[in-house]
Amino acid sequence: MTFYVVRRLAIGVFLLFLMSAMFFTLTRVTPGAPISVGENPRIHQSVIILRLHRLGLTDEKGNPYPIPQQYVLYMGALLHGDLGDSYVYNRPVTTLLMQRLPNSILLLGAALLVALAIGIPLGIFAATHQYSKTDMTTSLLSYVGVSIPSFVLGLYLLIIFGAFLKQSPLHWGFPLFGMHSGGVDDPVDLLYHMVLPVTSLAILQIAIFSRFMRASMLEVLHQDYIRTARAKGLSIEKVNYKHALRNAILPIITLVAIAIPQIVNGAIITEGIFSWPGTGQLAFQAVVDRDYPVILGVVMLVAAGTVLFNLIADVTYGVADPRIRY
Amino acid sequence: MAQVPPLPLGPSAGVPGSVPNQLSIETTVQQERDLAQPGVRPDEFGGAAELGFWRLSVIRFLHHRVATGALIILGVIVLAAIVVPIITGDLYRIQDYRHPYKPPFQSLQHIFGTDDLGRDEFARLLRGARVSIMVGVLAVVGYLLIGGTLGALAGYYGGWLDNALMRFTDIIISAPFLLVVIAVTAATGGVRLTTVIIVIAATGWYEIGRLMRAQFLVLREQEFVQAARALGASNTRIILRHILPNALAPIIVSATLGVSGIILLEAALGFLGYSIPPPEPSWGNMLQEFEQYLLDDKTYLVFFPATALVITALCINLVGDGIRDALDPRQR
Repeated sequence: MTFYVVRRLAIGVFLLFLMSAMFFTLTRVTPGAPISVGENPRIHQSVIILRLHRLGLTDEKGNPYPIPQQYVLYMGALLHGDLGDSYVYNRPVTTLLMQRLPNSILLLGAALLVALAIGIPLGIFAATHQYSKTDMTTSLLSYVGVSIPSFVLGLYLLIIFGAFLKQSPLHWGFPLFGMHSGGVDDPVDLLYHMVLPVTSLAILQIAIFSRFMRASMLEVLHQDYIRTARAKGLSIEKVNYKHALRNAILPIITLVAIAIPQIVNGAIITEGIFSWPGTGQLAFQAVVDRDYPVILGVVMLVAAGTVLFNLIADVTYGVADPRIRY
Repeated sequence: MAQVPPLPLGPSAGVPGSVPNQLSIETTVQQERDLAQPGVRPDEFGGAAELGFWRLSVIRFLHHRVATGALIILGVIVLAAIVVPIITGDLYRIQDYRHPYKPPFQSLQHIFGTDDLGRDEFARLLRGARVSIMVGVLAVVGYLLIGGTLGALAGYYGGWLDNALMRFTDIIISAPFLLVVIAVTAATGGVRLTTVIIVIAATGWYEIGRLMRAQFLVLREQEFVQAARALGASNTRIILRHILPNALAPIIVSATLGVSGIILLEAALGFLGYSIPPPEPSWGNMLQEFEQYLLDDKTYLVFFPATALVITALCINLVGDGIRDALDPRQR
């Protein structure tokens, strides 16, 4: 078990290294980027050189480092928890990420919880009432839910609640955590602002969870031990919720691990649309500004998170299902 | 002929060149006609059974009413995307500052209204449909070429190629795909449609690659492959003639569903300004100004492109599921 975890972690770190090398090269061969900041003729040459040197692009005299050397510098700084400076904000990427991360975790966590809280019971109900009207409706809706990307759903929600019903904070200006009033200090206001982005992120996952849960539950319900339990005279409820559910819900652990990167992906645009001040919006803005150190930082953060969550999911799965051996 | 097979699509169904044009199962008349044609015999490699499978699948698909309906809607969209821009010509980029924000369904001249620059929304939507469909189809062809080839080779030969394929998949899966595509697009020097297609194809092929690998892993161990090898067939021949036709069914389904995924991805890219640049419209970049449209209460300018996207994606998914059911009836 310990060996397994260590091995998986080693593979994960190796993957992150590979990915960082790939993305670093990509962002550095991109034309323009930080040099364009120095195109203002009124800025003295020495200032530009100093700035480029600080960004790890050139030495003290302004001679550009070759890309491998830049990469070594970047990775060296990364080991000290330094992801470089943003081209646009002129501040360390780590600071920017840490500022936004709590907001994103709040939004994504809420979306995941809502999706689990609605999707799983829906799937169970659909499976135990197979071919009923609710089952058909659920299948149909989950079908539509899978076909709508979260950003289009967000736009629909804005049309409905923002433009028609005039109920949502369409014209935003949502306060940053701790910087203005509202936020965590005003939970009601916070919830009010969270409803639409959480909905638009959660629908897709509700669709996936309910579909998967239905299939998993149906598979278990058709197994012999369920028939045995029924034949012994146990009630349907007891068999369904005590015998079947325990086994049917296991694969959901893996599904949650898969869902997290999906939600993060969706959040990049959704946070942008709803002006939610999270890392997604940071990435959204960085993409628009072509602020590569920030994009690189977000990619690394998400990748590290994904690797970690996959590991946690596999380990949890092993704990939950003792038949699994590593 | 002496006997009519019990199933309408027995061994004689696979007459080369005959296109299935009957919607019903009652095809016995055609069957007899086929059988009556001299010289048409199933070849000894079971080619007839193969054709019978595809023909049977088409009929099964056409019996699936929802999927057929979706296919018809999709056909109308594709046809309109091809034909209408030829008729409307430059209408999609002609600006008319006297008539901005013309509401939809008011005049025949601008049936979907006009946008903030007075450009005809209908012409722009269908012009955008061209972009979406073209990117979707071409990128999927890329998936099939890259993923299909590498997956087949990795599954058949194994070894380092297999390892490389799996590690590449791990990298792509753990990175936020949207940012990956954006970073690569930016790095390859700007936003042109060819770049977008190549980047999507180059980063998204892994799913079909993995599927193909899995198929080949299973099939290469089966008796018919061993038989072919014993008969002296070369590796190339085994891959192309014996394994590939049997591996195709799930690949076709995955490719179909891949088209809708790509269309949505392209829209997200266009929305962020990383796809085809204006004035050329795409469903994604038509949504870029959504804040302004919503604040001005011009919701139809957000609604139309968004709905076009959803309908197209939904129809493709329905068709894909129909194909899945048709190719593998046991899964239903």
